[in-house]
Amino acid sequence: MVMGTPGAHHGPIEASPLGIQSKKLAMWLFIMADAATFGAILFAYGYVRVAAPDWPHPFEMSSIVNGVIMTVVLLTSSLTMLGGVLAAQAQKTSTAMRWMWATVLLGILFAGLHLKEWFGMIGAGWSPSHNPLGGPVNFGAAFFGITGMHLLHVISGAIAIGVVALMFGRGRLNAAHVETVGLYWHFVDLVWMFVFPLVYLLNAR
Amino acid sequence: MTPTAHEPGLRTYVGIWIALLAIVAIEVALTLAHWPTTKLLAALLALAMTEAAIALLYFMHLRYERRILFWCVVPTVGFALLLMDHIWPDAFRALHMRLLP
Repeated sequence: MVMGTPGAHHGPIEASPLGIQSKKLAMWLFIMADAATFGAILFAYGYVRVAAPDWPHPFEMSSIVNGVIMTVVLLTSSLTMLGGVLAAQAQKTSTAMRWMWATVLLGILFAGLHLKEWFGMIGAGWSPSHNPLGGPVNFGAAFFGITGMHLLHVISGAIAIGVVALMFGRGRLNAAHVETVGLYWHFVDLVWMFVFPLVYLLNAR
Repeated sequence: MTPTAHEPGLRTYVGIWIALLAIVAIEVALTLAHWPTTKLLAALLALAMTEAAIALLYFMHLRYERRILFWCVVPTVGFALLLMDHIWPDAFRALHMRLLP
């Protein structure tokens, strides 16, 4: 199907067989690549863990509660992001911005809780190359590596949503941009759905 | 965007959010029940994959896009992960490899 003839130097452009805009397709391609990256580190963690019979179980109840709160915060941020997308599609600019800023705040809260957990672990003597319990050192490397990678995504996502919210409010971006950044944010949430049970719950005392 | 089905409203998304929270609660309950590691791992993975499927289909709108997008994304990523699952054990073989004198 022909969409249009944008210029003298180009022929007619075919409509996307996927039925989505190029920015959204680019985000899906990024998500596929990122899913493979997280898959690789989670598989590596899984095999290292299975290979070590004396794998440590450092997480007390307080860490599990903190992890549950982090999970609830991140899931709620996905909901607020959906509110932002729906409001943006309905041309309700101020409502969409409120939802998006709520998402950013929840993202910052998640990062704060994450860093609290990290500092607690570091204070207890954990590092990527040190295990204070005396077992395999790989736990620290796996924990800080996997959760650090995820934290990096959360911080990047919060900044991206903030930028999109600002530009959407000024009329320089449209609802499709909000939807695209939302797609990324839901992916970050999706990854946490594997990180929390595999890294936290499976290593609970 | 040309969705193939009617997109849900915020009320539907709240229902899905509650369902996801319920799955998290089940995961924590199973952990506190102190199941054997292998059994717990299998259960947690199954629940995480259920959560991920719900997030993909509803939060990421894959259910409301053209079906071809689903078939381009999910099997491709699944195949890549399957390959990793088969290649990573090679690391164990490498542990036992010895260089020739």
